[in-house]
Formats: sequence, structure tokens, C-alpha cells
Amino acid sequence: MASTSTPLLTARKRSVRFEIRDHTWRWILLLPAVIIIVILLAIPVLWTLYAAFTDLHLFRVGGETSFVGLKNFEKLLSNSSFWRTVQNTVVFMLGVVPAQLIIGMVIALCLNNITAGKKFFRTWFVMPLMVSPVVVAFVVGKMLFQEDIGPINEILRWFGFKGIPWFTDPFWAMVSLIIIDVWQWSSFMILMLMAGLQGVPPDLHEAARVDGATAWQSFWRITLPLIMPITVTALLIRIIDAFKVVDIIMVLTGGGPGQATESVTLAIYRVGVKGGDLAFGSSQAYFLLLIMLIFGGAFLVMSRRAMSQ
Amino acid sequence: MGIKSQRRLTQIVSYTILIVWSVILFVPMYWVVITSFKRAVDMAAGATYLPWVDFQPSLGAWRYLFVERLSWFMQPFMNSVIVAFVSSAIALVIGSMAGYALARFDFGGRNDSIVLGFMSQRIFPGALFILAFLVMFRELRLLDTRLALIIVYASGAIPFIVWVMRDFFESLPVEIEESAMIDGASRLIVMFRIAMPLAAPGLVAVFVLSLIGAWNEYLVAVTLTFREAVTIPLFMQMQVSQTGYTEWWNMSAIALISVIPMVVAGMALERYITSGLTFGALKG
Repeated sequence: MASTSTPLLTARKRSVRFEIRDHTWRWILLLPAVIIIVILLAIPVLWTLYAAFTDLHLFRVGGETSFVGLKNFEKLLSNSSFWRTVQNTVVFMLGVVPAQLIIGMVIALCLNNITAGKKFFRTWFVMPLMVSPVVVAFVVGKMLFQEDIGPINEILRWFGFKGIPWFTDPFWAMVSLIIIDVWQWSSFMILMLMAGLQGVPPDLHEAARVDGATAWQSFWRITLPLIMPITVTALLIRIIDAFKVVDIIMVLTGGGPGQATESVTLAIYRVGVKGGDLAFGSSQAYFLLLIMLIFGGAFLVMSRRAMSQ
Repeated sequence: MGIKSQRRLTQIVSYTILIVWSVILFVPMYWVVITSFKRAVDMAAGATYLPWVDFQPSLGAWRYLFVERLSWFMQPFMNSVIVAFVSSAIALVIGSMAGYALARFDFGGRNDSIVLGFMSQRIFPGALFILAFLVMFRELRLLDTRLALIIVYASGAIPFIVWVMRDFFESLPVEIEESAMIDGASRLIVMFRIAMPLAAPGLVAVFVLSLIGAWNEYLVAVTLTFREAVTIPLFMQMQVSQTGYTEWWNMSAIALISVIPMVVAGMALERYITSGLTFGALKG
């Protein structure tokens, strides 16, 4: 077809045709994703916001739901059990994130430092990220930390200590959850920090050493500023994820003993899904979002200030 | 200390720390493997550590699962397989198409805002969604179905795929596609024959990450399913939470079966997974 017409005419005709095609193409390509996101992201989020201001209940069939204004939020703020879950979640986050940062940093530095075997260690360190948190909680938590016949307590007894009441004591229950999360998610920090460290040119360290800098100074003044951006990103992701914790708690303690380890998400599941109180659960969910935004925002502000120094 | 011995010291320290951490990661793995070969009597008095030394390994648990109760645990296993693969495939197609569109076309200058809008989904806690999902799928009579999980997991994977693939496509040179179009190829052909193959590493990375996310997901599963469409994490939690006697060896075997596919896949594709996880973070 093209061989008979003049090239210039054909080219222009072709490009006009493709412009029109492209014009429709971009919507064909983008729209499915947008539609799905609107239906399964925007609508649920907005509906939950609406529900928080009503008295919607799952089990009230055929009844009317009415608008109750801020009553759910008032109930929330005066509910000591809810505040306990908030405290638990924040404590969990504060226990988990710094530990993962330190372990991640140390391991990433070591990994960056060695000459051979990097691939081996990197491949092995990816393993915990592939496992379901439920399985991790089961194996590390329920099996290893089992109070009577678990190996951890047995080894402690060999050394003369008493076995630790991992699940019957509120403090130790929280500690066991933190240990489990750190075991699993330190690998995430390791991978991110490794990626950041690989972007640091080794000549910088050589030049610093020639100038007489110690290893510590070299790390603090050169490496750290260069990996700050990715460190902040990784920390932000971990902070957000820590606030959402629920599966390991469900498996390990069910929120107990009592309410000592119940996270906000677990409470929302208990109240909203099992209990059917959609309205109260929705208000708790939005409060969780608020807390996350506050902590996340504060963290970003602090890190921006630290980065500009 | 001379430079050489100082360097040797840091090497030794580094390797030691890495080996210690590797062992810490290995211990639970080892434990679940040997427990799957134990019997009730091996766990009555206390912990037993070494096969053939502390206890006699037995295939009891494995025989129980694969011979006596195969259909019992095959159901959650098949549910997980179907839900994970179908949702990831759907998300991959839809997400990479959208990522391509956002990389190649201009949407009134608001491309970045659109991507940001997609990514906002990650910030919202799951708790914000599950109540709405419960009502939504109850109205649709889709509670306790694989379809419900497929829909939700696909919608969860799409934002991340859009984000990563958009960056990926942007880093591919446009000239190849443009010259192909001048030569007469349609946009469709250009996208599937040129852009997608070049973006294969990115596609593999996000597909595997989506698979793993769907395989290991728990909160949505526990909200939307309870019998027919139960996936492996929920299935395990349902067994473990029963108070009283826990058949550790059976549970260990089930845990191993559920974990091995993902771990093997993950370790084999480590390079892709790492690049997928760190891709957006490094650029931003």
C-alpha cells in the first residue's frame, strides 16, 4: 500500500491517524486502573468516613440508620479500652522501628564491606520477607517461645534463669511480638540500606582516609548523609506498616493477656467485623489514620530538619 | 595498626556479624523442619533439637496430611494459589497498561498527581477498608468467595505496579517506539512487542511481589472468608488458635508446605525482588 503513494503524504496521513489513536489509547490504558481504584479505594474510604458519623450496625436488619454526628468520636475519646489499644500500637511501633533501623544499618554496612559472598547473604536475607507473618508468628512465637517446652525457655533454664512467661505476662507478650516483627522485617531495612549504600562511591572513603579521617567520621560525615533519603523512605514505610499490625497479634496472643497486646486494627476487627458495630469501628479506623498522619508527619518534619544540617 | 590488618579485622567482624544474623534467620526454619518430623512423644518432656540424636524422625505428620487429610488442607492451598495468581495477573495487566500510559502520554500535566493518588492507597490502614468491604461484598453475595479476594487483592496490587512500571517505562528510550510507529506499527504493537519485553525485569519484579503479598495476606481474608474460600494464612491461624492440644508436627508440615513455594521463588528471584522494592525509593 505505501509503495505507490508519495512518502510525505503517507507519513502525514499516518501520523494524523496515530494521533487520534493515541488520544483514545491513553484513556483505554489508564481507565481500567482508575475505575478499579475508585470503586475499591475511594468509595470504601469515603463510605467509612460516612459510617463514622452514623450508628450503622451490621446486625440490625431492616432498621434505620441515623446520623449521630460526633457521638462515635466522643465515645472513642472517653473509651479507656480504645486508648489502651492506641498505647499498645504506639509502643509496638516505637519498639520495632528503631531496632530494625539499627540491625538493618549494621547488617547493611557489613554486607557492603565484605568482598565475597554478597549474593549468598543477600539471597538468604530475602527469605523472611517471603514468609507469611502468620507463619512467622507461629514458628518463632508459638513454637520457639513456648513457655513450657519451647527451646528458648529451655536454654534460659540451662543457664540458670527461670523461664520467661512470654504469653502470660503483658510486658513479655509485647516483647515477643516485637522480636517477631524485628526478625521478619529487618530484612526490608537491610535491602533498602544496601541499595542506598551501593550508590555511595568508594573513592569518597579513600579520599577521606588519605585526609586522615577515622572510619567513624567517614561513616557519619560521608555515608550517612548520602543514604539519608532512602533511609527516611524505608523508615516511613516501616512506621506506617507497624501502625497497621494485626496478623501476628491475632495468631500469637489474640490481643491478650487481657488487652495488653491488642492493636487498634485488631480492636477494629473485633468491634466492627465480629461485633458488627460498623459505626464505632469506622470512627476508630479514622482515628488510627489520624494518629498515623501525625506520627508520619512529625517524622518527616524531623528528618527534613536533620537532613538539612 | 596497618591498613592491611585493619581491613582484615573489619572483614572478619563483618563476616562474623553476617553469619550470626544468618543463623538467627535459620533457626526458625530449622525448627519448623525438624518439628514436622516429630511425634507427640518427642515433644512431651521438653525441646528436642537434633534428629536421630534427641528423637527419631518420623513421617507421621506428612503421611497424615498427604494420605488421610489431603482434601482438608488442599482446599486452602488451592484457594491461595488461584487467588494469588489470578489477582496478580489481573493487576499486572491493568497496572502496567496504566503505568505505560502515564509514562508516555500527558494527562493535562497531572501525571504525577495521578500516580500519587494511586499510591495514597498504601498509606491508608487496612482497617479503613475492611468494614466497607464487608458490607460491599455482603450486598453482592460474594462473601466467602475466591472472587472477592481476587478483586480486593488485585486492587491492592495495582497502585504499586502503576508506580513502579511508570518509572520503569519512563526510563526506556522513546526513540525505539517512535521509529517503529513511523514505520507503521500501531500503538498496540509498540506497547506489546517493544515496550513490554524491554520492561520484563520490572514486570517480573512486581508480579512476584504481588504474588507474595496475596499469598501472605491475612486481614482481608479473615474479614471476607470463613469456610469455602479460606486461604493458607487464615487456615493456619484457625488451627493454631484453638486452645488446648496443638498438633505441632502437623502444623509444622502445613507451615512448610505453605512457605516453601514463596521462599524458593523469592530466593531464586532475589534480584528482581530487591529491585522492585527499592526502585521507587531510590528515585524518590
